[in-house]
Amino acid sequence: MNPIVSTKRFSWPALIVVVALAAIAPLLVSDFFLNSILTKALWLGIAAASLIFLAAYAGMVSLGQVGIYGIAGMAYANLVLADGGAGAAWNPYLALIGALVIATVVGLGFGWIAARSEGIYFLMITLAFSVLVYYFFSQVTGLSGFGGINSVDLPGVVGSPETDPVPRYFLTLVVAVLVFLGLGALSRTAFGLGMQGVRDEPARMRALGFDVTRHRTLAFGVAAFVAGVAGVLSVFYNTRITPGSINLAQTIDVLIVAVIGGLYRLEGAWVGALTYALIDNYSREWVPEVGNVLGPARFNTLIGVLFLIIVLASPGGLIGIWDSLMAKVRTPRRAPAPKPVPQTIE
Amino acid sequence: MFRRSHVALVAACAVFAACGSESNDDADKGADTNKAAEGGGGGDPIKIGFLSDCEGAFGSFFEPTASGANLALIKYAGAKPAGEKPTDGVTGATIAGKPVEIVGYGCADDTADKAIEETRRLMEQEDADVLIGPLSGDEGIAVANYAKEHPDKTFVNGIAGAQDSTLKVQAPNFFRFHPDGAQWSAGLGDYAYNELGWKNAAIIGDDYSFPYTSLAGFVAEFCAIGGQIPKRVWAPLGEEDYSSYISQIPEDVDGLYVGIGGSGLISFIKQYEEQRGRVDTERMLGNVFWDDPLVLKEVGKSLVGGVTSAMTAADSDSPEVAAYIQGLKDNYGDEIAGAGPSVFTYGYYTGMTALIKALEAVGGDVADQSKLQAELAKTTLSGDEAPWGDVKLDSNRQAVSNVFLKKIVEDTTGDGVPDVQTFARVNEVDQTFNGAFSADTPAPDRDNPKCEAGEAPPWVGKAEDVSFAKK
Repeated sequence: MNPIVSTKRFSWPALIVVVALAAIAPLLVSDFFLNSILTKALWLGIAAASLIFLAAYAGMVSLGQVGIYGIAGMAYANLVLADGGAGAAWNPYLALIGALVIATVVGLGFGWIAARSEGIYFLMITLAFSVLVYYFFSQVTGLSGFGGINSVDLPGVVGSPETDPVPRYFLTLVVAVLVFLGLGALSRTAFGLGMQGVRDEPARMRALGFDVTRHRTLAFGVAAFVAGVAGVLSVFYNTRITPGSINLAQTIDVLIVAVIGGLYRLEGAWVGALTYALIDNYSREWVPEVGNVLGPARFNTLIGVLFLIIVLASPGGLIGIWDSLMAKVRTPRRAPAPKPVPQTIE
Repeated sequence: MFRRSHVALVAACAVFAACGSESNDDADKGADTNKAAEGGGGGDPIKIGFLSDCEGAFGSFFEPTASGANLALIKYAGAKPAGEKPTDGVTGATIAGKPVEIVGYGCADDTADKAIEETRRLMEQEDADVLIGPLSGDEGIAVANYAKEHPDKTFVNGIAGAQDSTLKVQAPNFFRFHPDGAQWSAGLGDYAYNELGWKNAAIIGDDYSFPYTSLAGFVAEFCAIGGQIPKRVWAPLGEEDYSSYISQIPEDVDGLYVGIGGSGLISFIKQYEEQRGRVDTERMLGNVFWDDPLVLKEVGKSLVGGVTSAMTAADSDSPEVAAYIQGLKDNYGDEIAGAGPSVFTYGYYTGMTALIKALEAVGGDVADQSKLQAELAKTTLSGDEAPWGDVKLDSNRQAVSNVFLKKIVEDTTGDGVPDVQTFARVNEVDQTFNGAFSADTPAPDRDNPKCEAGEAPPWVGKAEDVSFAKK
């Protein structure tokens, strides 16, 4: 059992404050910050949330989320009017639904296969899936165009992000909050509790009559839907998608975001994504030159070092650091419960 | 009532908010410093953003690309290098009496997404007026599309070679002062058909966009004048074992055009030798990767006799080329100068030179850039401005220039590595190959362009013999 995951509810007041701050952010920050940091952190957070949802509640660390969001993004970009790709010129809202359906169906189908494996084998099969999706879109140029699909048509609600990025930001924010609340609520339903049972004691759950494979498959399908949402939002954000947007590096980046934020709490997804976006953007200006080791061109070194520190010092990520700080600050009113150890995924 | 943890979380949020607004302050501060610079100089500064790759497959070309752009500023805008490394920047540059500021050396990683993020940072946060870059194909298409959405700014390509960024995107404010990836192969089809007497040829390449484009240039020209392509073989990028692909190459063709790059080419040549006894270079042509120094060092002896093409020729003895290399050497030393003949340094050099010329002509006016864009469209480069051949732009703002045909020959310098000898120059190579490529033709891929006889490109049969003195 993993009490960090299953018993601790998020706090409504904190969520309200964060959302309120996010809502007034367009008044406080520049358009650039709104776009390149906040909007990016929000959609990247959704992608990481789909990974954290699987890892925390179903015990499945998946590298397939970028593959799924690539399918959703590519499907959307191909279905609407764009430069390159199939250019089916559907209505953007219809294409949006189509893309999410495709991503969810592929997710369920692939989840049905992958759910039979566990631990490192699950990690490998999902990694293979992401790589396969990347190569598929790299080589089937009819679907990805030479150098990807550009100038993708966006739904009216997003408006024209080049002139006014605020509607896109709010859309992403609303979707992110819905994903957060939705996944949180799902984890407390009978299905969510069953999933956590499957995570901790699959054999016992099977003995109790639960269909373990079906539980895992459905969990993967839900995560695929969320990853699909992130994929479509990433296309809104970039107004393009190229095979390079869904390559192995991106697969690893999403895992890094999830681990930095905290692999055991949904909030961690957005904390990690915000940290990642800030470092990614500002390390190119701030970082001093130290020989050939450190410098503005060393974003990957920085993020890698942070990753190592997090993994070694706080397996629960930045959220985990916060939790343990709070645990120290708080005066125990009763005898402290034994400190929960974050479960390692085997 | 809030629990203590709630209060603490709220406090954390407040801290986060403070950080957020702090970053905002920083951005404002940045804007303030820029304003200060405006007040201090002789008029508003011209702000140039530089975009290249410091990560990814081309990361090692970050400094060489910057050296090319800086050299143009040093030669034509009176700049001085601000440090030993090109990305340390330059000082004292002025164009038409206005100070020039490079607002940042943007660092992407050869993906389109990162290139756009860096473009946004340079254009929207650092407030650049003009962008020079990017480096690689997919990035170029993305930046050209970005340019289309920002008609009030101007974009000069660095060395991204994708055909589409000028042929199809056609952004009126995106300019490319060097030939694209297909143009680099011009002249080889003519050479194969008319000099070597090939009637049919197979092609083999890595299965991704650059070889598609590179081989498209050969296919379009070779087929237009009557050649046939009975077989196209594509090996996955990163393949190390080419044996199954080599066995797919038919034996009964007159020749083979090889578009495999990097370490893959080294494996390919070794395995070809094992499987077929020898590398029959008299029946082979290669694309730009063949005279890569590393390839020459590893398998150069097997390649002697092979012919390739490119937009620069390292063995050129012209005084303009010598002055260009010397300029790099004086400012940045031997290592950077060694990369001078690479397309990477040269592409950024010609781009920045053209930009300086056009800015000079419009009196450094970047407030209304339509004048600058009109000026760039008619800017031509010659002499020291483009040491490897004059450049002019076509109606898609794409360079029309020359490329060189080169042969790999036995070592004459005594370093044990075969030399590259340039033997012909193909003049006035344009992007469309006499209409074979247009905005309506499918982008080059595994099967396109189709092999169709047609009107020969104008340069066929007109390759000019050149003979550079041996280095």
